[in-house]
Amino acid sequence: MLAWTVYISFLGVLALMLLPAGNARAARGVALVTALLGFLIGLVSAFGFAPERGIQTITRTAWIPGLGIDYYLAADGISVTLVLLTGLAAVAGILFSWNIEHRAKEFFVFYLALIAGVYGVFLSFDLFLLFVFYELAIIPKYFLIAIWGSTNREYGAMKLALYSFIGSAMVLVGLVAAYVTAGSKTMDLLVLAQYPFPPALQNWAFPVVFIGFAILAGLWPFHTWAPTGHVAAPTAASMLLAGVVMKLGAYGALRVAMTLFPLGLATWRNEIALLAVIGIVYGALVALVQKDFKFVIGYSSVSHMGFVILGLVTLNTIGMTGAVLQMFSHGVIAGLLFGVVGRMVYDRTHTRDLPELEAMRLNKALPFAAGTFAVAAFASMGLPGFSGFAAELQVLIGAWSAFPTYTVLAGVGIVVGVAYTLRVLQMAFFGEAPEPVPEAAHPLPPITLPERLGAVLLIATTVLIGLCPRLLLSLIGPSFQSPLFEHVLKGGNL
Amino acid sequence: MNYSLISLEIAVVILGLGLLLADLWIRPEQKTRLGYLAALGVGLILFWSFKFSGVPSASAFNGMFVLDPLALYFQRFFLLAAIIVLIMSVAFAGRIATGISEYYSLIIFALAGMMFAASANDLALLFVALELITVTFYVLTSFQRARLASLEAGVKYLIIGALSSAFLVYGIALVFGTTGQLNFNRIAAVASEFADNRVFLLGILFILVGLSFKLAAFPAHLWAPDVYQGSPVPTTAFLAVGSKAAGFVLLLRLLFTAVPAITERWNDLLIVVAMVTILYGNLCAIPQRNLKRIFGYSSIANAGYLLMGVAALSGAGRAAVLYYLGGYLFAVLAAFLVILLVMNEVEGEDISALAGLNQRSPLLAAALTCSMVSLAGIPPLAGFFGKFLLIKAALEQGAIDPLYYWLVGVAFLGVIISISYYFGVIRAIYWSKEPPVLSAIPVPLILRLALYVCLAGMFYLGLFPNTVVELANAAVKVLAVR
Repeated sequence: MLAWTVYISFLGVLALMLLPAGNARAARGVALVTALLGFLIGLVSAFGFAPERGIQTITRTAWIPGLGIDYYLAADGISVTLVLLTGLAAVAGILFSWNIEHRAKEFFVFYLALIAGVYGVFLSFDLFLLFVFYELAIIPKYFLIAIWGSTNREYGAMKLALYSFIGSAMVLVGLVAAYVTAGSKTMDLLVLAQYPFPPALQNWAFPVVFIGFAILAGLWPFHTWAPTGHVAAPTAASMLLAGVVMKLGAYGALRVAMTLFPLGLATWRNEIALLAVIGIVYGALVALVQKDFKFVIGYSSVSHMGFVILGLVTLNTIGMTGAVLQMFSHGVIAGLLFGVVGRMVYDRTHTRDLPELEAMRLNKALPFAAGTFAVAAFASMGLPGFSGFAAELQVLIGAWSAFPTYTVLAGVGIVVGVAYTLRVLQMAFFGEAPEPVPEAAHPLPPITLPERLGAVLLIATTVLIGLCPRLLLSLIGPSFQSPLFEHVLKGGNL
Repeated sequence: MNYSLISLEIAVVILGLGLLLADLWIRPEQKTRLGYLAALGVGLILFWSFKFSGVPSASAFNGMFVLDPLALYFQRFFLLAAIIVLIMSVAFAGRIATGISEYYSLIIFALAGMMFAASANDLALLFVALELITVTFYVLTSFQRARLASLEAGVKYLIIGALSSAFLVYGIALVFGTTGQLNFNRIAAVASEFADNRVFLLGILFILVGLSFKLAAFPAHLWAPDVYQGSPVPTTAFLAVGSKAAGFVLLLRLLFTAVPAITERWNDLLIVVAMVTILYGNLCAIPQRNLKRIFGYSSIANAGYLLMGVAALSGAGRAAVLYYLGGYLFAVLAAFLVILLVMNEVEGEDISALAGLNQRSPLLAAALTCSMVSLAGIPPLAGFFGKFLLIKAALEQGAIDPLYYWLVGVAFLGVIISISYYFGVIRAIYWSKEPPVLSAIPVPLILRLALYVCLAGMFYLGLFPNTVVELANAAVKVLAVR
């Protein structure tokens, strides 16, 4: 049934293409229904999913038999978690882009195509298929930013596309090398992961594939596409970028790079942990001094994704489970933050300049936005009771046994995180205006119902997971017991 | 003598002659439509060619001419390309002052040359087939007599073409002089005696230089951008697809039938040529603004990728070449169909002519975008799978010679560079600074059909590559040396 998340999204694309142009309402409706169906399928599957049974095949047919390439969809708890996240982000993104009138049909075509690609990546266990879906997610992203984006959109879109393609070219090099070394017989991840690749190959292929994926996860110093891309993107696209696309990178790094080349992982994990920690601290420090509201959130994404990478390379179940939970948590929280910044604030005030916003005293003009952002900010800081806390705590516990020094540094990153989040919250919404604001001159349009719905949906999720992380942990944790991760958890010792 | 083996070629030649004769009786205003008749004729021949599927390989004229799966694969390739090029020519007729029916028949004669090239198993037939292609293209490139650029293209093509023909014929003379043989199989039988004969090796080298002109590969690649830019659009399209593929089938037969041992010794040379060609084409394409010129450089780069498959010296590599050419055919013809239609509306071939195309004609914008995406090697379109096969084939040889790793590295570098200019075209379509003209571009039904065929081809080859991969594998079996 999970496979239908992919198909329903493609069907949505087709349905949208058949709609007459110019009917924005119908386009929105079709897109929302498609996304909701995808989300519901994910939700129902998650409830019926037995994570302790490991990787469960959904469908498998020969695709290119001559090369051993299959159309092979399967899922474990990690896939299901991320499929849920994708559904959630997709629905929220559409609710937050309810006001799109300019070429609405095309917008949602690209949007749903992107979603379909993302679902596909999370469910593919044939590396070739995974790669095809992975690339499929890049092209719509380019169009979404370049056509509907704002500040510096062409630059942001091109930069993002080039970074993505360089990353995927690196991934492809490693994948083809693994495929050819194992005798060009199969692209099945589960089979290839058991193949004892020679250490020399692993030592070059692991960093190439890992970094290729991690570029998309915003790993320092390859993160520079992320802030510019996020800022340039329209609201829904930046929600998807931070919400799910960055997770594609982290997921690929975990699912492909680490499982294929466990020896290479053992060689390079220290260096990668270092990069992750630098990313955590650097992203937080840079976010502290930004003047553009969206750049703050963009850099905070770099910082929070650093936790994901750090958790992955701890190579213990606690840290890795925490990393996956952090993917989910950050997806929800970043989606919420970008929704507030892009849709609630920028679409109304037409500025993201923090000093200008400070003078507007938005907590009076847009109390709902201020409230939502405050909640999102607390969640982002990692306050107990929100999902971010459960996730980052797990990562830090896992990291403590592996890299004590880095863990302390990451802790510093959290403190700086509190600082920039409070700063931006205070400047954007609770500013002290020197003189009375000319409110009457430009009354801001009130927050609409779809926005409220989207915000409530995301807040409810982060609180639910924060209060009851077991819901997801029971899905994610058992997945690491499967033979796929056996060598990874042993640090490459066969 | 089994004349039925060359019945396809005979049919093509008769079609060409028939067009020339028909020109005498048809009223001038009807002549444009003759192109549809020609396309229909070629279509019938393509249909007829399926009668030969599964027929065992056979040769005629003392082994000069062979009809085997490889020849059939390429013959169908050329016939398909010719149909679309003929349809394009009808739409282009308004820009050709006089002699449109000669234009059609010249395309048919070039097609005949390509079909002979697909079956050539002898240096003499190789030379004759190549000259038939080249000489018709001398005229086709300069067909817009009133346009200086077209004349310039014709002259450049003539000069470089004549030079490479000289290399070719000199090389053939040296090979014949040393071995006394022209037939590929007979050369293969005696090649080991001459493996260290410098005159013989020089002859082979000269033949390769002559062939590189057809491929638009280093060292005889310099003509491509100028000629592509100056020639009439259908000519450029046929040059990019048909002429290049003809070069490759000849190269494959020569290298792997006639001199397989030398080819294995020269793999480093092939690798270096492929690397230089890939880098040259991609790097020079970056600053270009003229659409057809971009394709000139892209054509060079693609010749480089295709040479990777040749340099891999394996059945997988050769099959990859065949598959890649299939994907290339659809992508390039789709792009030229769009360029043709856009240029009928807007004067000038600058990339800015594409501004606002997505509003003027969503179909054309989508087709050009797909073509660019395929050429850039992004899934799920044909170009990606072709590059995947080529790179896989090259990597498989890496254990033998580390230079292959360098080749793969250069290929990846080329792909990344190429994204910038292919996406530059996409960018020009969807958002441009200049205020675009917004009149709708009419797309006649038959051109629309041709576009659909190209789009379907790109998607089919990309999503369900199995059929064509199997076909290509079967086709290159006749070259099996290793």
